[in-house]
Amino acid sequence: MKRILAQCRKELAQFRRDRLTLALAFILPVMTLFIFGFAIRLEAKNISIVVQDLDRSNLSRRYSEGIYETNQFVPVRWSGSDPLDALDRGIGKAAVIIPSDFNREITAGKTSTIQVLIDGTDVNNARVIKNSIQAFTRSFVQNQGLTAGTSKIIARTRLWFNPGRQESLYIVPGVFGVILAIYPSLLAALAMSREKEQGTILQTYASSISAAELLLGKCLAYFVVGIGQALFVIALGCAVFRIWFVGDPTPFIIGTGIFLIASIMFGLLIGVRANNRSVAVQGVASAGFLLALLLSGFIYPLSNIPFPLSLVTYIVPARYFIEISRDAFVRGTGWAGVWTAHACLTALAFVLFSIARRIMGRMQLPG
Amino acid sequence: MIQKTVASSAIPEARDPSLASLDDVIRVVGLHKHYDRVAAVRGVDFAVKRGEVFGLIGPDGAGKTTTFHILGGVMEATTGDVKVLGQPPRDARLMIGYLTQQFSLYLDLSIDENLRYVSGLRQVPDRQFSERREKYLRLMNLENFGDRLAGELSGGMKQKLALCCALISQPQVLLLDEPTTGVDPVSRREFWDVLAALASEEGVTIVVATPYLDEAERCNRIGLMYDGQIQQIGTPAELRNSLGLYRLEVHTLQLQAAEQVLTEASESGSIADVQTFGDRLDVLVNDPQIGEAEVRELFQQHHLQAATIDLAEPTLENVFVTRLRQQGSAPQSLAFPRSRGGNRDVTKNSSSDFAIYSHNLNRNFGSFQAVKNVNVEVRYGEIFGLLGANGAGKTTTIKMLCGLLPESSGDISLGGERGNLRSSELRRRIGYMSQKFTLYDDLTILQNLEFYSGIYGVPRRLRREKIDWVIATCGLEGRETLITGQLPGGWKQRVAFGASVMHEPDILFLDEPTSGVDPLARRQFWKLINDFARNGTAILVTTHYLEEAEQCNRMSFMVAGEIVTEGSPSQIKASQPGQLIEVITDQTQAASNLLKQQMESWRVSIFADRLHVVVDDPDRDIPNLRSRLDAANLTVHSLRPIPFSLEDAFIGVVQRSAHATPKEPQPS
Repeated sequence: MKRILAQCRKELAQFRRDRLTLALAFILPVMTLFIFGFAIRLEAKNISIVVQDLDRSNLSRRYSEGIYETNQFVPVRWSGSDPLDALDRGIGKAAVIIPSDFNREITAGKTSTIQVLIDGTDVNNARVIKNSIQAFTRSFVQNQGLTAGTSKIIARTRLWFNPGRQESLYIVPGVFGVILAIYPSLLAALAMSREKEQGTILQTYASSISAAELLLGKCLAYFVVGIGQALFVIALGCAVFRIWFVGDPTPFIIGTGIFLIASIMFGLLIGVRANNRSVAVQGVASAGFLLALLLSGFIYPLSNIPFPLSLVTYIVPARYFIEISRDAFVRGTGWAGVWTAHACLTALAFVLFSIARRIMGRMQLPG
Repeated sequence: MIQKTVASSAIPEARDPSLASLDDVIRVVGLHKHYDRVAAVRGVDFAVKRGEVFGLIGPDGAGKTTTFHILGGVMEATTGDVKVLGQPPRDARLMIGYLTQQFSLYLDLSIDENLRYVSGLRQVPDRQFSERREKYLRLMNLENFGDRLAGELSGGMKQKLALCCALISQPQVLLLDEPTTGVDPVSRREFWDVLAALASEEGVTIVVATPYLDEAERCNRIGLMYDGQIQQIGTPAELRNSLGLYRLEVHTLQLQAAEQVLTEASESGSIADVQTFGDRLDVLVNDPQIGEAEVRELFQQHHLQAATIDLAEPTLENVFVTRLRQQGSAPQSLAFPRSRGGNRDVTKNSSSDFAIYSHNLNRNFGSFQAVKNVNVEVRYGEIFGLLGANGAGKTTTIKMLCGLLPESSGDISLGGERGNLRSSELRRRIGYMSQKFTLYDDLTILQNLEFYSGIYGVPRRLRREKIDWVIATCGLEGRETLITGQLPGGWKQRVAFGASVMHEPDILFLDEPTSGVDPLARRQFWKLINDFARNGTAILVTTHYLEEAEQCNRMSFMVAGEIVTEGSPSQIKASQPGQLIEVITDQTQAASNLLKQQMESWRVSIFADRLHVVVDDPDRDIPNLRSRLDAANLTVHSLRPIPFSLEDAFIGVVQRSAHATPKEPQPS
């Protein structure tokens, strides 16, 4: 225990001394928080649309104005003859062509067909555009009282948990997960690989400190640093994006602690494998960042990840933390809903520690 | 010659009585170590007694560091029996202090933090920690710097701190792997005084590797290691005697011609080896009388001016070089493929035409004056040495002279050029090898050489030839595609030197070119340097090896940014005030302690079984010295004046001029 503390004290002294690392430990997470928190918007908004009204009747004008009023679309002025050109040139994402017999056909009780052309380059957005235009058209028909009585069932949807569809509520708790997955592990990986790069690791080999003690000493030091980072980033995130706990915060607090340990252990593992600092940084950046960003459910729903790859998500610690974090800020179920995530995180932290310890082995030079 | 008694004078009070009965603290039998298919250590046997200082000497890549790794318990032996304090090294780790070749310190931690960390790892109780901290910091003269970061200490202070860290757990065994590489002579001598005291007063057993053969003289016993095996073990005196050769110091004005004549004759007859040392030749002969006669005869035959010939003891370097020659491992000396026919046309004797010239050169860093009014004049074909302790301003001066750093004030002229020292025209005539490695660690040797021949504008058709020459000179044929970072330090230096001369510069700056290079390769280095000088290149060199500084034609000593002495090696030694006395007593350490009570500590130093004492007035001080030793019941076996070495001169100069100024250099 004394050796673990000695190791920890030394790490903290080194950390404090290195102003660059110190700055990076707090400035980079804040930048990440703001970039992700403000920049990532999953909802499609302000889609440019071209409407070619060949009918020029009252009804057709009401229809096109209605599209703009959804505030999902913005009109684009287009003077050419073929609206397809607008799509080709990327001026509009969608073009709506109202036929010249629009008013006549509808007042005659017949069906009129509107042509909608959508830029399919971005498949996801194309689907969103298609759905919204269809939805708008349905409600337009109803509002105009054109098909009264034909539809027996009208779906009334209501959003649960996030009634205002406040997007930061979904993104920011996830950003906490990404930040705490990357930066504490980056610091830990640097601390470990620096000793190998500079050869000071030999001194620890020559003393009788064990691999477990060395790892735990470093882990303890960066846990303290990580707590600081977590408090700083989470407090700032809550204040800036106006989110707050919706239920019992204890699962979140305890989960944060376990998650920090897991992510530091991941960093130490990378540091143990890497022989110099640049390799360690690349390791954390590529492995850690990609996993935490893509396979954690932060942006892309876990259920969308196809089969063999979906297994990988189970060993991404960020996945479990994001689950805990979203529960704390959005759902508020508490322990009953998330205790399995805590269990998985604990297991992962232990597995990562064991692997790192095994690689360090007998604390000797390879030969 | 007085036969040495191994560590008999200093059987210490044992720290642990249960271990006192064990005579050999370290016992190595049949040690082998293989990396994949390469055998680094091939059957090493030796034993080290309690309180002994055992030196491991050998060329780069001999397997010394591997042996240290195994003794320190950080690496497994492939086969063989290694016992430290009767246990496998791994189990004895807490009783071993180990200074590795790389930094053993955390440069971003303060002295106190470094010490506290190590003592935490080694489970030193708090009370003992503060006691020992104080004791060892005082011993190393570091007690006033507790808060200073290790990275801000000079090279010598760093190594002393590393030694403190190793001592904090009071180990019974100290393993020191080239602890004084890059450390200036003054600090080196202090470092070795501490080692001698630890061994004799506290019974610490010390195994040390060093590339400095003058330091090896201070070991009780030496193992000469080569190619993974120990070739010879013995006291320095035994090794010298076993050589069966005598050394003649030949002073002549026609050095170059004399060397050539004697070297040709050395293939037959009684002359075994010839080497230039600055203003003299060292000639090894089988028999002093016959040898001297032969040299005189050769001089007459070739109509050379009469020389003065003095008989001297062979040095350990002579032993080292001769033994390795017998092993057939001496690096080849290949003639440099000159394409420009040298620089002989540059008028060598015109005094107005200096290759490197500076007048009243100054450089300030903030309020700190790193270089003060330095004057340097180097002619073409001259080797000029710039010597000084760490932080004396040598590197700063060199950087200004070759235009890498702007001067604060003063005149500089380089190759006849003033003002624009960075023109590409001028740069093509200059070679610069810096203290830190100038090679890219992640490129292969070949890629590095190709890169440098490219940027220095070596004509494409000549590149192949020059690169082949560098590789052959370094003995790296067939290994051109090794990654440079994997080479031992000494080898890297050789490649770096090759890279800096491929374009046949007129002016060559060498900043500690031989740091960490083994004696044999160093000799080859100097042969090359001499060869370049003879072809008209002006060479400015810095070094911490004062034995090799003898090879310079002229030199300046710098202390705290100022030049305090200049001249040829002989002039400098001759101008030393006072006299050096060699004292052999039955209790070397006790005598040293006694004398240091009344004299400044730099005046007294231990060389294995003898003391070197500097006195100012021999007629008054020698009887005084003798009576003081007699009064303390110390038997004096021998007390005689000996000539100053360049290192003695250097230390004298530095210490005398440091009296006025504060002792510790400012961190620059």
